[in-house]
Amino acid sequence: MAKSDDGIRILQGLLVFGNVVIGMCGIALTAECIFFVSDPHGLYPLLEATENDDIYAAAWIGIFVGFALFALSILGIVAVIKSNRTLLLVYIILMLITYAFEMASCITAATQRDFLTPNLFLKQMLERYNKSEADNNNDKWMTEGVTKTWDKLMLQNQCCGVHGASDWQDYTSAFRRTHSDADYPWPRNCCIMNAQGSPINLDGCKLGVPGYYNSNGCYDAISGPMNTHAWGVAWFGFAILCWTFFVLLGTMFYWSRVEY
Amino acid sequence: LLTADGIPTLVAPVLASSSLGGQKTTSTFVLDQPRCVFTNVSKDTVIWLVVADPSAVPDFNNSLEPGGPGREFQQFLNSTFAYMTLNTTVLNYPCPKNPGDITVLRVGSETHCAKDKKRPTCNGPLPGPGPYQVKFLALNGSKPVAQTAWSEPITLRTAQPSGNIPVPGSGHSAGMIALTSILSILFAILLAGLVAMLLWGSDASSGSSTFSKPEAVTVRRYNTHHVYDQPAARL
Repeated sequence: MAKSDDGIRILQGLLVFGNVVIGMCGIALTAECIFFVSDPHGLYPLLEATENDDIYAAAWIGIFVGFALFALSILGIVAVIKSNRTLLLVYIILMLITYAFEMASCITAATQRDFLTPNLFLKQMLERYNKSEADNNNDKWMTEGVTKTWDKLMLQNQCCGVHGASDWQDYTSAFRRTHSDADYPWPRNCCIMNAQGSPINLDGCKLGVPGYYNSNGCYDAISGPMNTHAWGVAWFGFAILCWTFFVLLGTMFYWSRVEY
Repeated sequence: LLTADGIPTLVAPVLASSSLGGQKTTSTFVLDQPRCVFTNVSKDTVIWLVVADPSAVPDFNNSLEPGGPGREFQQFLNSTFAYMTLNTTVLNYPCPKNPGDITVLRVGSETHCAKDKKRPTCNGPLPGPGPYQVKFLALNGSKPVAQTAWSEPITLRTAQPSGNIPVPGSGHSAGMIALTSILSILFAILLAGLVAMLLWGSDASSGSSTFSKPEAVTVRRYNTHHVYDQPAARL
């Protein structure tokens, strides 16, 4: 009896340790998802205009799941130390529900990341940037969001278009309908600006002289943060779930060995 | 090489360097200035740029007045097939040019006079992708004194409709497929474990490896008979 008591004690210790790790990871997940939802790069309007912002939904779920994991890990520690069958069963059921939600969040984040291709952003930019006529209020809101975001993006990241400044020449666009090609081969924010916010050489910018305009594309500036966001939610969540899997299996085994 | 009106024909105009992003747009193009080309003309000669549809090149008449009937920019490709613009004196093309200077002419840059019939020599945006051929013509007063050869045909860029950009349905990356399948399998195992636990875990009393909850077990000592209270034996 002493030997299996030792074995049970070891299992208890492992389960407590496992729950401590789950608790800490839950806090980390909450913090990470709050960071993503706060949108430090200001790219949310672009996603909103694709009408498919599930990556943000995945991050929101992550916030609540992280908190739930923390609370449940405390419950788990108490339940394991007290060896209370009821508490352990409650813990297992609630953990499985949280597991399901986190699974949904991970899969959503990973799937949505595949949806965000360069062509998607190119088409959106050409059709919405500086669009003058709006179909309805929602359309107007999305157009304003896209225009402001692109203006900020081109200014801060010293870039133009998705693949490059030639995007504005290779395709027709809403911008082209209101700004003639001779006056604006590309938007004004593609010009290199001085400290006061005006182009250092407008003619040089219109001619396309290297050094007076940005010829490189902005896709890296968009996909970098989006990738970090999606992989952060998806793969960190996946790691937590793998660990939780073993802790839950151990807890189920422990439950079946506790005398009622 | 002398032409029918007896004036020399010099080297043809060329497009500016392709390192310029705006060398050709959908309605403008950029030429190199004719530096060190018109070397034998008097200082008050005016150099004009002639832009023509290739159909007007073979029998182009150098003596027609710039901006006059048959040469209005606003009617280009409607009723006229050549126009003249960007006039400047030969002093503005000094020779030799400073190395490092960008000496170019942007054809099509003036949008404000594009519809103004009072400006028939406007350097307005070109009405279509072309092709176009250009040459420089030196006029002294109204008499042509020198010209360059016609350039190669210049075709401008054409913009594709943005609606044609293919946005394919999301192809699934390998990472996402791996993540989904592994998580599904793990969840399935957990559910199976829960079912097994509920069905067979309840008869735990039969196993010898079960353990009891630590309870406080007290053994109370009690005396079965009061041997100590008996009075001393009455013997």
